[in-house]
Amino acid sequence: MRQLSLISRRVAAVAVGLALAGGAAACGPKDSGGAKASTDAKPAKGGTLYVLNNQAQEDFDPARLYTSGGGNVPSLVYRTLTTRTRANGAEGSKVAADLATNTGEPSKDATVWTYHLKDGLKYEDGSPITTADIKYGIERAFAAELSGGAPYLRDWLIGGAAYQGPYKDKNGLASVETPDARTIVFHLNKPEGEFPFLATQTSFAPVPKAKDTGTKYAEHPVSSGPYKVIKNENNGEHLVLERNPNWSEATDDQRKAYPDSIDVQSGLDQAVINQRLSTGTGKDAAAVTTDTNLGPAELAKVNGDKALASRVGTGHFGYTDYIAFNPKVKPFDNPKVRQAIAYAVNRTTVVNAVGGSSLADQATTYLPEQASFGYTPYDPFPAGKTGDPVKAKQVLAEAGYPNGITVSLTHDVTKADEQGPEVATAVQDALKAAGITVKLDGQEHKAFSEKIHNVSTEPGFFLTGWGADWPSGGPFLGPIFDGRQIVKDGSNFNNAQLDDPAVNKEIDEINKLTDLKAAAVRWGALDKKIGEQAVTVPLFHPVYKRLFGKDIKNVVISDWTGVLDISQVSVK
Amino acid sequence: MTTQDLTAVEAGAAGNPAAPAPGARQVWRRLRAQRAAVAGTAVIALLVLVALAAPLLSAIEGQNTTAYHPELVDSASGGVPLGSFGGISGDHWLGVEPGTGRDMFSRLVHGAQISLAVALGATLVQILVGVGTGLAAGLGNRFVDNLLSRVTDVMITMPALVFAIALMAVVPDSFPRPLLLALIIGFVAWGSISKLVRAQVLSLKSLDYVAASRLAGSGTWRIARRELLPSLVAPVITYAALLIPANMVIESGLSFLGIGVKPPTPSWGQMLSSANTWYEADPAYVLLPAAMLFISVLAFTVLADGIRTALDPRAASRLRIGTGRKREEAAS
Repeated sequence: MRQLSLISRRVAAVAVGLALAGGAAACGPKDSGGAKASTDAKPAKGGTLYVLNNQAQEDFDPARLYTSGGGNVPSLVYRTLTTRTRANGAEGSKVAADLATNTGEPSKDATVWTYHLKDGLKYEDGSPITTADIKYGIERAFAAELSGGAPYLRDWLIGGAAYQGPYKDKNGLASVETPDARTIVFHLNKPEGEFPFLATQTSFAPVPKAKDTGTKYAEHPVSSGPYKVIKNENNGEHLVLERNPNWSEATDDQRKAYPDSIDVQSGLDQAVINQRLSTGTGKDAAAVTTDTNLGPAELAKVNGDKALASRVGTGHFGYTDYIAFNPKVKPFDNPKVRQAIAYAVNRTTVVNAVGGSSLADQATTYLPEQASFGYTPYDPFPAGKTGDPVKAKQVLAEAGYPNGITVSLTHDVTKADEQGPEVATAVQDALKAAGITVKLDGQEHKAFSEKIHNVSTEPGFFLTGWGADWPSGGPFLGPIFDGRQIVKDGSNFNNAQLDDPAVNKEIDEINKLTDLKAAAVRWGALDKKIGEQAVTVPLFHPVYKRLFGKDIKNVVISDWTGVLDISQVSVK
Repeated sequence: MTTQDLTAVEAGAAGNPAAPAPGARQVWRRLRAQRAAVAGTAVIALLVLVALAAPLLSAIEGQNTTAYHPELVDSASGGVPLGSFGGISGDHWLGVEPGTGRDMFSRLVHGAQISLAVALGATLVQILVGVGTGLAAGLGNRFVDNLLSRVTDVMITMPALVFAIALMAVVPDSFPRPLLLALIIGFVAWGSISKLVRAQVLSLKSLDYVAASRLAGSGTWRIARRELLPSLVAPVITYAALLIPANMVIESGLSFLGIGVKPPTPSWGQMLSSANTWYEADPAYVLLPAAMLFISVLAFTVLADGIRTALDPRAASRLRIGTGRKREEAAS
């Protein structure tokens, strides 16, 4: 289970953030905030918003969705105990109360978390929302037939590892208590200061037990949010949402819900989406995309057209693409060889390979540049903007290879992918100047993913990337560098197979903190400490550039998702 | 190659197996008399020259196929080349590739190497396999003929591109890609040439001079070598000339789909594949490889047509080319 979850974790991160081939989208440190153009006009209620997407919103069940912060479309239907703050930039990377009155009351050591529900919360049918329904919703996420959600509940809740879900185990999960209809208490098996972030995921949405139809629930889920599902065709390929009259603005200070209805059409080609949004005729004037980035060639066109450029939302999702080493494979067991590669890398050509400086920021740190991750600038092996082959040669000679070396770089053969042949050839070209001959080992997408995530087949030198489930250092550093998260039989993400007791101990210590600011500082320091070991070479953080239609108003792009928030958009 | 092509060839050069094979000099004269064929030949000669001299030409320009020039592209605008028509300059004669800034001239001339080598190699394989199986089917007993003919039918019916994709995927990465491409294209698309040869052999076999040779005690192998092969030269050459451009297109197709040669080796098909989103922002990037491919395929097709006319005495006389007595005297 854990391995499957881990695979979907990466897939989800990619889906939320990148939509693979064409793209990334979000809002960030350099140009935080949404687009300037349409924010001037006052947003108003009414109309229909169209969402044009590439990937379908599959398995639209709160137990099965794997989202960062409750997702974009799912969050219109499912309210959760907490949610992300719907605000531009860094403010948007904070947790806000949703169904609960606050973001959670921790016990002293952060192992017990208590929430109270707001007054007057109702489902789409007018019946009241209770904590028993939230507990039931969480229990459903443990059912094997509803797989797909994040692994955290299973890892963190007492008894979570053995629990089979409410269909097999009628007694329920004892570590989630509901002393009354308005109170819910979570008992964790270890301190987790970031529990409020977890409570934003859709598994924390209420599900009325009487209305649960098991695997069919995704077709007609009972809404707690501002919209209800009218149509769900072909497993999320086409969703039609309409206003839920029983949702009250008075109980929800995050969602604006301006349009009367929302039509989400998926399965569209990315070039078609961008073409339709840029032309913007008819219904497309009131359209947005949440998963399709502008491609490099489209960007060249947009930059030459001011009217079009004003309709581009820029954002940053916490994601890092990097070179990974397996120090068990020679010659990468030698830290000097890894350092030489770090010195030789030309981040300018690498960034150009994924679409240029508008679509990616050069990275020397593993943590993304948002403050919420604990970003601490460091550059232990300064390569400058275009690489330092002289220093690289010198370090390589110190490593015992004065006449150069030949190595093999494993990459994905998928074109225009962040781990694809364009990035690989850019790395190959940069390393040549340092006397490092790189042979390219291109693997088909699925084979590549299986190969690099299995410790027995993991190559020594390859391209990979990681995105966080929420904007904090924990879910970024833990799965990649925590020695106890090395998985022996597939789905391993600790590529360096780093098992450093000092690192493991520090991760445990930081998880105890409920003061997230203090935690962020320590995550940043830990990142720097790990970075000096040269077990990865950070390359770039993707930037999201996404078009929206002419009639779109109130564009809000947070540092959490990097994508315009559908709940804030108005079409009138 | 499709069966339609086969029919066209059979209707032309293959139409009259009884005609004696024209001498090489006569063929050359008939070919020379066709302006289009001469132009095609000239273009092909230039192309071959460019391909052979690719490293030299790059050296004269002072560039190579793999060096990145990030300073020549506008990174903030998706990596579009700076300057007009794909960044043409004294240093980069045909501009640079978007994103990487790699030299287009170098990549195009080196791409010619891959295109030509793979197309010619594949054609050679097709001729060897096709003539071999065609002869064996035409001369063998009924069982051999049936077996080989059915295998040939299967090869013709099989969609070559799909079959090639499947084969490319199973061969280990360490195998040299251009050689692999030539072998795979060669071994999946020999069906029509085999059919052609078999049909020729069957009609030649019944002719008097073959019967005479058999009566004189010649064995099957000797008949094939001495009596049949010389008569097969004309149709096979005609057909091969048509196969070359077809193979070129298959190679580009495979490279376009990302399973041809591996990066950073340049190939026209691969360039077209990465260029297809750039048609608005950087038209030069699409037009250059497309033009190279178009011109090459056109030149080979025109030449093939010329060869067919030159080798077919009936077509040649109908066109009144290379048959004038005076010119023939002058030539001799």
